Amino acid sequence: DEVCYENMGCFTDDRPWAGTAERPVARLPWSPERIAARYLLYTPQNKEDFQQISTDKDVIASSNYNPSFKTRFILHGFIDKGDEHWLSNMCKLMLSVEDVNCICVDWKKGSQTLYTQAASNIRVLGAEIAYMISIFKDHFNQGPENVHVIGHSLGAHCAAEVGRRTPGLSRITALDPAEPYFQGCPELVRLDPSDAKFVDVIHSDALPFLPYLGFGMSQAVGHIDFYPNGGDHMPGCDKNIISTIVDLDGIWEGTRDFVACNHLRSYKYYSDSIQNPEGFVGYPCNDNKMFQNGQCFPCPNSDCPLMGHYADTFKLPSGGQKLKFFLNTGDARPFDRYRYKVTVTIDGSRTVTGYMKVALYGSQSNTRQYEVHSGFLKPGKTYDVFIDTDNDVGDIIYVKFIWNNNMINPLLPKFGATKILVTRGHDRRDLVSRGSHVTSNVLKNIVLPPCSHSEAKS
Amino acid sequence: APSEKGIIINLDNGNLCVLSAQCKSSCCHRRSATSLARCAPKSAETHKCSAKVRSLYGSYYFCPCEDGLKCDTDWSIGGSITNTNFGVCVDPNAPKSSAA
Repeated sequence: DEVCYENMGCFTDDRPWAGTAERPVARLPWSPERIAARYLLYTPQNKEDFQQISTDKDVIASSNYNPSFKTRFILHGFIDKGDEHWLSNMCKLMLSVEDVNCICVDWKKGSQTLYTQAASNIRVLGAEIAYMISIFKDHFNQGPENVHVIGHSLGAHCAAEVGRRTPGLSRITALDPAEPYFQGCPELVRLDPSDAKFVDVIHSDALPFLPYLGFGMSQAVGHIDFYPNGGDHMPGCDKNIISTIVDLDGIWEGTRDFVACNHLRSYKYYSDSIQNPEGFVGYPCNDNKMFQNGQCFPCPNSDCPLMGHYADTFKLPSGGQKLKFFLNTGDARPFDRYRYKVTVTIDGSRTVTGYMKVALYGSQSNTRQYEVHSGFLKPGKTYDVFIDTDNDVGDIIYVKFIWNNNMINPLLPKFGATKILVTRGHDRRDLVSRGSHVTSNVLKNIVLPPCSHSEAKS
Repeated sequence: APSEKGIIINLDNGNLCVLSAQCKSSCCHRRSATSLARCAPKSAETHKCSAKVRSLYGSYYFCPCEDGLKCDTDWSIGGSITNTNFGVCVDPNAPKSSAA
């Protein structure tokens, strides 16, 4: 059967909306009044306190809404609520870097119910937002090419519904789009590249819902799909239960993480990307295994997309869609990371067992020490490792090398790095350093500043 | 796959701890006197540090330095008792000029 709402159109629960393998339960969406979505507007004039607007042009006209600024909607997902601080935080971060009409959509009345009902309510919510965008166009002369919809979980498929009803919508960002009732469904029902001019997706909980309780989709559904840390297990989400619940940001944040840590990471990465754009470079690759063992490195002709807020600065190859990108992130905020390949050729008096580390030094800052190898250190052998440093040291000036074998070495073996090659991932800058030869087991060996920057092409 | 995750020992960074001996990084880091302590990585060069104390007792306001670095602390009187002697990790071998 069917239900119709003013300005929204009619909604049926016939196939493919229900009665299919992926969508067994049929539920008609609630009315806009019952969902009671609240639109909380933040602008450069009101960065701290929202103004509540609605699909009434007079209310919009009397607010700080400015049609010359880009408009971005942020939608939460299942069980979540709009005045949850991650939405307003995201708006405040955006306002710190750009002039924007940032609208947090609070549809908690429609999302805090049975999942199958919430998954149906997003159809009406999407129609309402599309109606608001049509008001922007008709009464304020702001076209959909200046509107961007960001949705988390169920909110991502709601954004798809907005896009389906708004030809020319500029961009949809899907933060871990929900899997149950959407993955494997026809494009009409779920997010797909046709829903906006540019669709970028972050997958952070892509394991199957059954049996792993992975809430997010693994299926690529955008023009470009990012799989941070492989998309299944996010670093920092495998803390023991006590440490998860007693979170830095308090028990409530900890409980949310306990329930869906991986799933929530997607919006945390997006928020972090707003002020750290260079820290989320995505590398094109077929799968995570290939990426982690270094096959998809460095960026082909220095042209990799940036996961998150600045993903739309990537020049999409014409007709390109469902392109997959991989990257590693941090295990706690700030999540940005900078990928390097380090190749070390060592020399010494004899083979020892132990470990060796390197640290990269730029003009202003330096990185932590990262282990290149542990085990047999054979003179003359070359070892390489991929590292994701937690700060961007800019142009590397020199590298420090250290080795240790946790043993007293009566013979005081001499060990050194005869050559270190460092390749920066996002723009393929190579650095070759000649090591000075003599070292002892603990003391640091300062590798001389590089002879030339791109002398050796690996 | 992540190595075995302990509740008590062999803890990865971010887990709650009481003694530094519980942490893989051997640094149980506390932001302030009242905050809970969590395992954290050792401090890198130019970062703040606590002078490393041989016994891995209790937690630190700043982690000890990484391999090969020394925590250049300005010794305060009560330093060793209340673990408040902080400094900056420096490379003892760095020729003074290039370290500047």
